[in-house]
Amino acid sequence: MIHLLALFASNPLTPLEHVARHVLNWLHFSVGLSWAWSIVALTVMVRMLLVPLTVKQIHSMQNLQRYAPQMKEIQKKYKQDKQKQNEELMKFYKENQINPAASCLPMLVQLPVFLGLYYALKHFSRESAALHPGNLSFLHFIPSIADHTTSHWGGFVLLVVYVTSQMASTLFMATTVDKMQRYLFMAMPLVFVFVIAHFPAGLVLYWVTTNLWTVGQGLITRRLVPKTAAPLSDKKSSRTPPSDDGRSDDGHGGNGAKRDPDRPSPKPQAAAPPRKVRRKKKAGGRR
Amino acid sequence: MYRLGVAAVWFYRVTFGALFPTTCKYHPSCSQYAVDALRSKGLVRGSALAAWRLLRCNPWSHGGFDPAPPRVVR
Repeated sequence: MIHLLALFASNPLTPLEHVARHVLNWLHFSVGLSWAWSIVALTVMVRMLLVPLTVKQIHSMQNLQRYAPQMKEIQKKYKQDKQKQNEELMKFYKENQINPAASCLPMLVQLPVFLGLYYALKHFSRESAALHPGNLSFLHFIPSIADHTTSHWGGFVLLVVYVTSQMASTLFMATTVDKMQRYLFMAMPLVFVFVIAHFPAGLVLYWVTTNLWTVGQGLITRRLVPKTAAPLSDKKSSRTPPSDDGRSDDGHGGNGAKRDPDRPSPKPQAAAPPRKVRRKKKAGGRR
Repeated sequence: MYRLGVAAVWFYRVTFGALFPTTCKYHPSCSQYAVDALRSKGLVRGSALAAWRLLRCNPWSHGGFDPAPPRVVR
């Protein structure tokens, strides 16, 4: 017990490292995978555990994209005031019972794994080979997963794969409708590749695997979930009940009157008219 | 003492927050909530509040406007 406490005091992340190391040891010694493939297997295990979380997230994201035009309007309207913009978006989510796709927990669950792996691999390179017997190479182009990624030409190949896979996974999992933010997320790996180059190659391998999983998952869920427009029309109608032509003139009041208890009605008022006009046009087109 | 926690949040923001880009479903975002909670409730209670918020920020919750509790002035 004291030993454990001392360990924890020396580095609070040591327990994470021990867990990562134990799982890697089990995959290597018991299952018989090479160290590199053990990392891949560990990543796949973590992602499999996270499947319920991410599938739900993908579904909400697809749902969110149906509301993109209305959300863009809100974003345009409160361009100057980011805080107000966020508040209005939250209100819009609530009114339409949208579950925003982004959430911090799925990402945070991966953090301990990542940190544990980072320290485990760091110690790999320091330890004598006797402690981790076996081959540290991966697919014949990376000599050691414990070495810095850039220490061998194979690492550069891995970095290119990382950047590509990260961009692809952002394409599938970007939880924002804001285009600017999307581009920013897409460009991120190009900047971070310089930081990541100093990490052990095994960690980049973890990253590449998790990205490829994300892409695969995105592709599968996109195929499985048909893009139906039906819920959109339902939800739209619930948000703005079909009002008469006469009412549309004082549409602000009409909207507000429907939601009496909502205190912040004066702000959505201004946002309401353009939406209504749009919907009318659409309705006319259909007929 | 709470500054320790705030520093940790900032460390997270410049490292992992930037490496794994996500947008939060709550307003203020989880990290901002953590900073606010630490400032108003101190290290222990602030951390507990932030942890609870992180658990709430899951794909099943609905998000929304959820500010940290204000500081009680005695």
